Amino acid sequence: MRVFEKNPLEKGLAERLREHGVSRRGFLKFCAATASMMALPPAMIPAIAAALERARRPSVIWLSFQECTGCTESLTRSHAPTVEDLILDLISLDYHHTLQAAAGEAAEAAREQAMRDNHGNYLLIVDGSLPGPDANPGYSTIAGVSNYAMLMEAVEGAAAVIAVGTCAAFGGLPAAAPNPTGAVSVMDLVKDRPVVNVSGCPPVPMVITGVLAHFLTFGRLPELDEYHRPLAFFGQSIHDRCYRRPFYDKGLFAETFDDAGARAGWCLYRLGCKGPSTYNACATMRWNSGTSWPIEAGHPCLGCAEPRFWDAGGFYVPLSVPTGPAQDYLLAAGALGAVVGGVVATSARGRVKAEAAVRQPVTVEELEQKL
Amino acid sequence: MSATPSSTGSPESSPFTLERGLAAFRAEIDGPVAAFFSSCVHCGVCAQSCPFYLETGDPKYTPILKLEPLRLIWAAEFTLLGRLKGFLGLNKQVTDEMLSEWEELIYDSCSMCGRCSLVCPVGNDIQAMVRKTREGMVASGHAPEGLIGASVRAVQTGSPMGLQWKTLQVQINHIETSTGLTVPVDQAGVDYLVMLSSMEVINFPEYLEAITRIFDHAGVSWTLSTQCFEATNAGIQIGNKDVAALLVQRVVDAAVALGVKNVISPECGHAYTAIRWEGPNLIGRPYPFHAFHIIEVLDQLRAAGRIKTEGMETDRLSLHDPCNLARKSGVIQQQRNLMDLVAENFIELKEHGRFQWCCGAGGGVSSNERAEPLKLAAFKMKKAQIEEVEPERMVTMCATCRTQLEEGLEHFNMDIPVVGLTELIAEHLVEREPAEQAEGAT
Ligand code: SF4
Ligand code: SF4
Ligand code: SF4
Ligand code: SF4
Repeated sequence: MRVFEKNPLEKGLAERLREHGVSRRGFLKFCAATASMMALPPAMIPAIAAALERARRPSVIWLSFQECTGCTESLTRSHAPTVEDLILDLISLDYHHTLQAAAGEAAEAAREQAMRDNHGNYLLIVDGSLPGPDANPGYSTIAGVSNYAMLMEAVEGAAAVIAVGTCAAFGGLPAAAPNPTGAVSVMDLVKDRPVVNVSGCPPVPMVITGVLAHFLTFGRLPELDEYHRPLAFFGQSIHDRCYRRPFYDKGLFAETFDDAGARAGWCLYRLGCKGPSTYNACATMRWNSGTSWPIEAGHPCLGCAEPRFWDAGGFYVPLSVPTGPAQDYLLAAGALGAVVGGVVATSARGRVKAEAAVRQPVTVEELEQKL
Repeated sequence: MSATPSSTGSPESSPFTLERGLAAFRAEIDGPVAAFFSSCVHCGVCAQSCPFYLETGDPKYTPILKLEPLRLIWAAEFTLLGRLKGFLGLNKQVTDEMLSEWEELIYDSCSMCGRCSLVCPVGNDIQAMVRKTREGMVASGHAPEGLIGASVRAVQTGSPMGLQWKTLQVQINHIETSTGLTVPVDQAGVDYLVMLSSMEVINFPEYLEAITRIFDHAGVSWTLSTQCFEATNAGIQIGNKDVAALLVQRVVDAAVALGVKNVISPECGHAYTAIRWEGPNLIGRPYPFHAFHIIEVLDQLRAAGRIKTEGMETDRLSLHDPCNLARKSGVIQQQRNLMDLVAENFIELKEHGRFQWCCGAGGGVSSNERAEPLKLAAFKMKKAQIEEVEPERMVTMCATCRTQLEEGLEHFNMDIPVVGLTELIAEHLVEREPAEQAEGAT
C-alpha cells in the first residue's frame, strides 16, 4: 500500500497503468468493463478512456468505526478486475485502519498528514456506524479519539463521503434494538458534504469500486436514489432481476427448503424472501467473481441493503405475514461459507494433481553438478 | 533489493531450469495454499513477528512477501482474475532474475521458525509455504551452495557434515572408558533406536554420554545403528522432498532392520519435525514404530519414576525453547518438568513456549555461510530477551540452537554459558548403590 506517497496527484492513470505494463488495448478493455459495470452505453467507452487518461489519483482516507470488518473483507476478497488496480494503482489509500501496516502514532500521523496535504480534495470512506453526539463517546474510540470527533474532523476537508456497508449507511446491526451504543449512520451526522451510501451487509465489492471508478471518470459522484445510494447499482430491486421471477409470476412457490418446489428452483417468497423490497446489485453482479448469489444458492434474500433490515422481523417470514424473531439463519449462513471455501479448495486440488505429474524429481547427482 | 550472488554455475551445464522450477512451484499449490493466499488481508502482522524483519527493519523481510514467486504463480494460474489478466498481458512473470533476487528471502532470512504462522490473524501457515517455495527454488537452480553441499554429503556419506561411523566410533570408545558403561550398537529388538546429528557428534559429545548414563540408570534398552546414525534432514532444509524422503527412508530401514519399537530423534529441531511429522507423508506410509524427541522420552521416564536425581543447580538458569519442538510440535511442558527436577532457580524468558523467539539459525540458515550476518542480526532478538532476565546460564535442547546461542553470545561479548538439558539431567542422577555397583563389576 502506498501510504506516504509524495505527490499523489502528479500522474495520470493511463501513464501509471503503462508503467505497470498495461497496453493501450488492455486499458480500453478495462474501460469497457467499467462502462458495463456502471450500466453505461458502449458509446461512452472512449469518453471514459479519455477521462481516465487524465484522471489524477485522489487521496482516500478510510475510517472504520463500529463494524465487523465484513465490508473490507468483501472488497479485499473480491476478484473484481478493478479492485487491485483501483485500490493500489488508481487511488492513494493514505489511511485504512485494517489494511495499513502502520500502527499507533505512525498511523494517526499518516491520517493527519493526508488530511493536511489534500485538504478539500480527499475522498473519505467510512465503514461502520458510530455512537452519535448524544451517546457516550467512550463506546467506540480510536487512539483515544471518539468516532464522532474523528469523523467530524475528517469530514472537514473531504470532497465527498462514501459510507460503505449498511452500518455506515443506515446504522446496521450496531443500531439494532435496543441500540446500546446509540449508533447512528454517517448520513445522520454529515449534512454539508455529499454522502454516497453503498449499502449491503456486506456491500457487493464491484459496487464499491464502481463508485470510485465513476468519481475518477467524471470527477463527480454518480446519481443517487432517495437513500443516497448510486442508482446505477441500486436502481432495480432484487425481485426485478431475479431469475426465479417467472415462478413468482406463475404462483409457484417453494414451501420448505427441501421440497420438490425448492428442488425445481421455484420462488422463495414464502420462505421469507425480501427481494421485492430490496434494492441491490446481487442479482446482476452476483458474488465471488460472479459465481453465485444467495437466491441462486437456494436462500431467500435477507434485505441487507435496506434500512432497518436488522429489526424488520424474521428472515424466514414472508413479507406479507406479521413478523417475529428467527435465529436459524445463522446456521444457514455458516453452511454457505463452508461451501464457498470448499469450492476454492476443490478447484485447486484438481489442478495440483495434473501439475504434480509434470514435476521432475531432483536427484543428488544433479545437485552435485552445481557444486 | 540487491541481487544475491547466486550459486548458479554456468547455466548451460545446470540441469535445473526455470521451467522445471515453475512446475515444482505449481505442484506445491494445493487447497490450503490457495486458501491462504486468498485470505491474506495484508495486515503486516507477520512482519512484526519475524526476527529477520524486526532486527533489520527492512520491509523486504516481511514474511508474506518472501512468498511472492509462489503467490504470483497462484494468482496468475489458479485464479479467475489472474487468467483474465493473463489475456490482457497484465500478469507479472516469475523470471530467473526474480528467483535469484528471492533466494536470499527464501533461504537466508527465514529459519522456518513459524512465529509468523502463529500470529497471522487469518491463520495463514507462512512457514509451511516457505518450505513449499523452496521446492521450486531448488528445481530452478536457486538454492544456496551451503545447503546443496549439505544435501549431497548427506546422501552420499550419510551425514551433512561428511561424518563417518569411524568418527562416532572414536566418541563411543571415549564414552565407554570414561563411564565404564557399554554403548549398545546394532542391538536388535530393543526399545529405542537413538539417532544423532553430526553437530552432536562433533560439538557436543557429552550428549551421547548423557544418554548412555541416563538410560543405564533408568534401565532402558536402546541402541545405535551402524546402518544409519544420522537423522538430520538436509532435504527438509533445502526444500526438496525427493532428498528428504530418501533420508527419512534410511532411518526407517535402520529401525525396521533392528525391529525397534521407538526411534529417538537427535537434538536437532528440524530433524525432529522431519522424522516426527513430515516423514510418513514423505515416504507415503505410516511407520512401524513411534518417533520421539529425547526430551519427551526423558519426561516419560521421569513421570514413571525411573529417573532419580539428587542435588539442585543453584545458578539462575533460563531456557530457550527450540521452535520446532515448542511452537511447531507442542513439546513445552516436558522440558519444564525436567528443569524442575534439577534447577531451583529457574527463570522463564518473557516470551517462551509457543511464543518464544527463534534463535535465528534454523531452517538451514546455519548451513548457509552467506547468511551469517542475517543470522547474527536475527539473534539480537534472543539476546535482548536473555539480557532482560539476566540468567547465569542458558539451557536448551537442540544442537543448532545451542551452537547459535554460544556463537551469538560470544559475538556480543556476553559471558553466559549454554548447557544441554539432557546433560544437565545426567549430572544429577543418583549414584547407584555400592552393592549394585559391586554386582555390576563382577
Ligand atoms: S454493513 Fe454488515 S458487513 Fe459491513 S460493517 Fe456493517 S455489519 Fe459488517
Ligand atoms: S426469490 Fe425472492 S427475489 Fe426472487 S422472485 Fe422470489 S421473491 Fe422475488
Ligand atoms: S518462519 Fe520465522 S523466520 Fe521465517 S518468515 Fe516466519 S517469522 Fe520469519
Ligand atoms: S499476518 Fe497473515 S494476513 Fe497479515 S499480512 Fe501476514 S499473511 Fe497476510
